[in-house]
Amino acid sequence: MGAAARIASKDLKLRIRDRSAFIIGIFAPLALAFIFNVVFGGAFSGDLELEYGIVDLDGGEVAQAFDEVLTQIESDGLFTLSRYDGAAEAEAAIEADEIAAFFLLGEGLSDAVIEGTSADLSVVGDIDAQTSTQIAASIAEQFGAGVSSTQLAVITAFALLDGPPPEESASWGQEAAARGASYSLVDVSAETRQLDGTTYFAAGMAVFFLFFTVQFGVVGLLEEERDGTLARLLAAPISRTSIVGGKALLSFALGVISMTVLVVATQLLMGADWGPPAGVFLLIVTGVLSAVAIMGLVASVARTPDGAGNLGAIIAVTLGLLGGVFFPVGQGDDFLSKLSYLTPHAWFMRGLGDLSGGAEWTAALPAAAAIMAFALVFGVAAWILLKRRLNR
Amino acid sequence: MTTVLSAEGLVKRFGDLVAVNGVSFVIEEGETFGLLGPNGAGKTTSISMAAGLLEPDGGAIHVAGTPIRTNSTAGKAAIGLVPQELAIYPDLTAAENLRFFGKLYGMAGDGLAMRVEEVLEVIGLGDRQDDLTKEFSGGMKRRLNIGIGLLHSPQLLILDEPTVGVDPQSRNAILEAVENLSGQGMAVLYTTHYMEEAERLCDRVAIIDEGAIKAEGTRRELVSLVGQRDRVRVSATGDLARAASVAAAMESVYEASPSDLGLEVLVTEASSILPELLSRVAANGATITGVEVFEPNLEAVFLHLTGKALRD
Repeated sequence: MGAAARIASKDLKLRIRDRSAFIIGIFAPLALAFIFNVVFGGAFSGDLELEYGIVDLDGGEVAQAFDEVLTQIESDGLFTLSRYDGAAEAEAAIEADEIAAFFLLGEGLSDAVIEGTSADLSVVGDIDAQTSTQIAASIAEQFGAGVSSTQLAVITAFALLDGPPPEESASWGQEAAARGASYSLVDVSAETRQLDGTTYFAAGMAVFFLFFTVQFGVVGLLEEERDGTLARLLAAPISRTSIVGGKALLSFALGVISMTVLVVATQLLMGADWGPPAGVFLLIVTGVLSAVAIMGLVASVARTPDGAGNLGAIIAVTLGLLGGVFFPVGQGDDFLSKLSYLTPHAWFMRGLGDLSGGAEWTAALPAAAAIMAFALVFGVAAWILLKRRLNR
Repeated sequence: MTTVLSAEGLVKRFGDLVAVNGVSFVIEEGETFGLLGPNGAGKTTSISMAAGLLEPDGGAIHVAGTPIRTNSTAGKAAIGLVPQELAIYPDLTAAENLRFFGKLYGMAGDGLAMRVEEVLEVIGLGDRQDDLTKEFSGGMKRRLNIGIGLLHSPQLLILDEPTVGVDPQSRNAILEAVENLSGQGMAVLYTTHYMEEAERLCDRVAIIDEGAIKAEGTRRELVSLVGQRDRVRVSATGDLARAASVAAAMESVYEASPSDLGLEVLVTEASSILPELLSRVAANGATITGVEVFEPNLEAVFLHLTGKALRD
């Protein structure tokens, strides 16, 4: 056994006796994941049953295109769709809790679209089913946006050509309207790209507390300095690389143990679905390495163990919040969403999302590569500064 | 005699402060060498360089012929370090502390187990070896602190003020242990600001102040260096004037005068002249009832060399 392993082994024994590493590394994240899941889990549930209706008073090509979009989504299993002859009948279905909302395609909708004037596509929802109604409204809005862009393209073409030949004007409009039918809402699928609530909170708490857990290793170097034992280590016939390596090794071991126990425990106790083990393991290893690197850098600039603990906590909470471990940060292209990818947490959560829905383990590779980049950048900086600290 | 440690022109700066400035000394096998000086004199910085904890800005250290550098492990196995601050793990037992550090020095198996037992007996913790050290008294922790330094039987043991904050009983035990070490052939580098410890333990002493060695030698050499002499107080009755006159005529006697209790005699070295002095005084009209010898101490030497007391 090398000197680094001996130092790590000694520190592990101390941490086992101290028990704090296990409280922070296992019990706290497990308890918080359970609480979050109970309190907020429903909002993330993949079991949300959506039932919608459609009332087509238009009967034209645009209405037909929208119906085809909804039928396509229904065939993907995301909701069930019922057809009603009139708004009153659909409202009665809402009252009877048969549907959560219905789409109302008003009379003259297709003509208005073809003529390039404004048209109404309404969503009527149950006031007690706001989430379902919101989803229905989003579908309608996205379809409307697609129709509008098609309208704009046609208007632009008309302007460039000084207007279509009169005999083709109607057919161009019909064709433009029909283009709306090609619009699809594939990314809405909750089963292909998102974690269910239980897994989300289990993973979020695991990676959040990971940054506290690994501190027990690297901050140990400052504790040795404070307690005078570092002098003995430095005077021993072992390299300084072994001393820093021993601390990093303990951090890594604690992180992997903590994450592995949490994966198994949340899977068994809470029904979390982390995805293919190989992919999850890859994310865990890279995630732990990045946490060790970042907290190693914290230890290298802190003066005391308490200072490192405080600074580490600030960084862990900030990265956790920004990385979306408590709640999703932004969506799509917004600034906050992009900013979140400056944290390994966001990549970790994204990696797990990529693994969900039956994906292969290789789906985690892009996220793992991004997390590894954090580990390398911060790890090299931490290594240099910690060695410099010992070589005063 | 084999040279175990040689320090040549050591210099260490911390910013603008020159903590150690040209310190040189040599320690031979079986010799206990003391660095005596007040707090802040440069003792700990000097031994930190000797132990490979600090890189000198100038000069060189060799232990058992091997240069000592912070970024090299060469020669470090020959050194045992007992830091001034307690350097033990409170949540490990005494035996676990010893085993951990023993393994770092390449010890293993039965050899390590036997040596751990030996050291525990030497430091008097054999019956407490399985107790967590956080339950130990201050003196017990100090003894374990020394035991760790001794464990791998180093050629050179460096002790940095090992008795600071120790109760008198433990202090005496520590001093006895150090006395035994030099008897076993181990070279000892001992720093202290207690004059009496340096006098008791050290074969040679370097007086250090403001980062520089002011004088170095045996206690006797240091004392003679500054012209200090032994004072012999002879309690006596009878013809004290005649006795004083006879004593004053002896070689190596600088001054002899009668006093209220007898005679006061200043000599170069009391131990060599005392039998003859007492014989002559007794033969010349004085009845001797008691003798006391006051040797000049290192405290006086330090005061003479630096103009300040050791504990300033």
